[in-house]
Amino acid sequence: MKPGSQALSGFSIFLALAFAAGTARQTESARKLLSRPADSNTQVTFDRDIAPIIFHNCSQCHHPGEAGPFSLLTYADAKTHGQQIAFVTQKLIMPPWLPDPGETNFTEELRLSQEQIATIQRWVDQGELEGNPADLPPKPVYAAGWQLGKPDVIVRAEKPYLLPASGSDSYWNFVFRTPVQHSRWLKAIEIRPGDKRLVHHANVLVDREESGRRLEKEPGDGFGGMELIIESEAFDPDSHFLFWKPGSPPYVEPDGMALRLDKTTDLILNTHLQPSGKPELIQPTLGLYFTDKPATMHPILLQLENDRMLDIPPGDKKFPVSDDFVLPVEASVLAIYPHAHYLGKDLLAFATFPNGTKMTLIHISNWDLNWQAVYRYAKPVDLPAGTKISMRFTYDNSNENIRNPNQPPKRVVAGNRAVDEMAHLWLQVLPRESTDGASDPLVQIQEALALHHIQNDPENFEAHYNLGALLQMKGDGAGAVEQFTQAVRIHPEDPIANNALGAVLLASGRVDEAIPHLNQALKGRPNYFDAHYNLGNALAAQNDFAGALSHFRAAVRLNAQDAGAEANLGSALAEMGNIKEARRHFERALQIDPKNELARENLEQLNRNAPGRPN
Amino acid sequence: MDRYLHALRVLRPTLVLITVAWLAPFGLASRSAENTAFDLAGNPVDPLKASGGKVVVLVFVRTDCPVSNRYAPTIQKLSAAHEGKALFWLVYPSKSESSEAIRKHDREYGYKIASLRDPQKALVKLSEAQITPETAVFDGKGHLVYHGRIDNLYEEFGRARTVATTHELEDAIEAALSGKSLPASSTHAVGCYISDLE
Repeated sequence: MKPGSQALSGFSIFLALAFAAGTARQTESARKLLSRPADSNTQVTFDRDIAPIIFHNCSQCHHPGEAGPFSLLTYADAKTHGQQIAFVTQKLIMPPWLPDPGETNFTEELRLSQEQIATIQRWVDQGELEGNPADLPPKPVYAAGWQLGKPDVIVRAEKPYLLPASGSDSYWNFVFRTPVQHSRWLKAIEIRPGDKRLVHHANVLVDREESGRRLEKEPGDGFGGMELIIESEAFDPDSHFLFWKPGSPPYVEPDGMALRLDKTTDLILNTHLQPSGKPELIQPTLGLYFTDKPATMHPILLQLENDRMLDIPPGDKKFPVSDDFVLPVEASVLAIYPHAHYLGKDLLAFATFPNGTKMTLIHISNWDLNWQAVYRYAKPVDLPAGTKISMRFTYDNSNENIRNPNQPPKRVVAGNRAVDEMAHLWLQVLPRESTDGASDPLVQIQEALALHHIQNDPENFEAHYNLGALLQMKGDGAGAVEQFTQAVRIHPEDPIANNALGAVLLASGRVDEAIPHLNQALKGRPNYFDAHYNLGNALAAQNDFAGALSHFRAAVRLNAQDAGAEANLGSALAEMGNIKEARRHFERALQIDPKNELARENLEQLNRNAPGRPN
Repeated sequence: MDRYLHALRVLRPTLVLITVAWLAPFGLASRSAENTAFDLAGNPVDPLKASGGKVVVLVFVRTDCPVSNRYAPTIQKLSAAHEGKALFWLVYPSKSESSEAIRKHDREYGYKIASLRDPQKALVKLSEAQITPETAVFDGKGHLVYHGRIDNLYEEFGRARTVATTHELEDAIEAALSGKSLPASSTHAVGCYISDLE
């Protein structure tokens, strides 16, 4: 039985933004700096003054094969685009970096100082001089091909996606079947999304339950959609942000924080694509890098959200959405990912410590979905138990927000499509290990989160489901039944919730009540291994061995590597008197798992009943 | 030529931050081989003289400008919609873009419109263009009646709508064809600067 489903939303975006006040102010002060008369006497040259700025902040995207539409590696490159460079840097359009300067620093910050912006402007005003080659710093060198060296395994999307020449942005998901034969530890994934000029950003989701495959029309097709809900095993302990944006080097997880990759794990690449003016084929590739060092630290992705508050009237320029969550345990924040769609305007997250002091975790006062990113803290932010994490987002659903997908504006509520909205804040947190033998801090956080989400929204299916799974893990069967019952009330046909409810009823001895839910699970998903397995057990408990047999056979057909299913199949066969075949399945179960007790005991019993009987 | 002198005098007020470097050396030269656009075979071409009294639409583009590239289907569609009434030309104002690169680019983006190179910025000046993509519409008498954006898909560089809600180029072509006047003879185009030094 695999209880648990964790909803993880994918990412999404577009572009545009009414110029928020913050940006306008910064531009204004940049202009003031420009007009300082003292500056105009100094001769600015490319070699001495401009090349260091460009090599450090621009060339990583502006070199051949990368996302930038042209290269910025030489004097000639810069001169050809000098006026453009002055314009986009002054408008803070380039380099793309959303967070306002604040109390915390992120890795790979791309932000020019006002002095640098003014220097570029002066260089252009003075005629874009080259200067003295002796002043020129070494040109940055970029590895061709894989940035982390040859990957251990390379997987390519089975089928390309055809991006139309025109139209609005596309969101496409590629499902990669993992090529490993046994579980491995992943330390990095290098995402090569295809033509980087077309892919605005991409995001890998770990799918341990084949959620993505079920959305494909034909295997390997991929599927459309901006946001995804991926089921996961009961609280996947390896929660990572696997995010690609132009110009970012692949992220290598530190020792002890690897990601488990099983034979059955799929990786789903969620991409945001922008038409280029001509039809394009997109066929991404992933490079996988393994490590021998298993995960010893288990960060989790903690989500604040308040989608239920999202009901934005047309014309509203400053619609607020907030959420607050109190951390039940001490934890470090490693990374943060705020997320809204096209109406998002000002995205703020802050922490209030138990002593009342506040700290900004991230502030984006000029949100732009197109440049969304995961931001990793240069130094983890330690939050003591009892710290309140707050999300304060505002939305602009007026005509002035030119990215508004509705013209004229109309009422917008929460949803997964580009025209819907979202108010999500994800934090990757590493809880401090408990030293006093208290319960697992991961479980404490998950439980607090689920309760929090239910409090925000009693109709939150995932939260009821997750809380049920947690209570089941803790041995609280009655509590689990209550939560799964709520989940099934909200989504009566959901196969996973029905299976979970059936399973926990079965475990509580309420067989008659379990069976309709397990049947419902199979109605929604005929190839559901867990539900066949559970229903087989339920029917066996009612002495309906013929019924049990057919479900155990189905389970074994769906997963030939599961010792429990083989052992149960053997038991049902033995009950039906088919000793010969039963013996074969018990032996098969022990072959898969020599420690399988059910198979060993039953086999011993068979041998006692009929010693020496040949196979 | 009057048109030329006129074009030189008019500086668009919106772009105060920008020094337009190519303006300085330009004198009152009449159009000669040194001051003209070329077809991709290298022959001088004057699209206004070649128009035979039709409306002429110049569309300034660059091979490496993502904004003008994204407009390729729109430009091609507008040209097809006005076939026989308005003559469309793609104008590549960059000195560094070769005929060969332009041919390849036109093929890739499905352009069927004739392309010109304008390394001396003759048509740029005539059209008062600053940006790619920017368009200029000349009426049957060769008067510049509109220059500016194609539509309002982009509000600013990097700030795009999901779809355009106004269609200035189309309106200008219709006005030029029907002899009506336009509410604005110029609009602010968004994209890549033409006048960068080369």
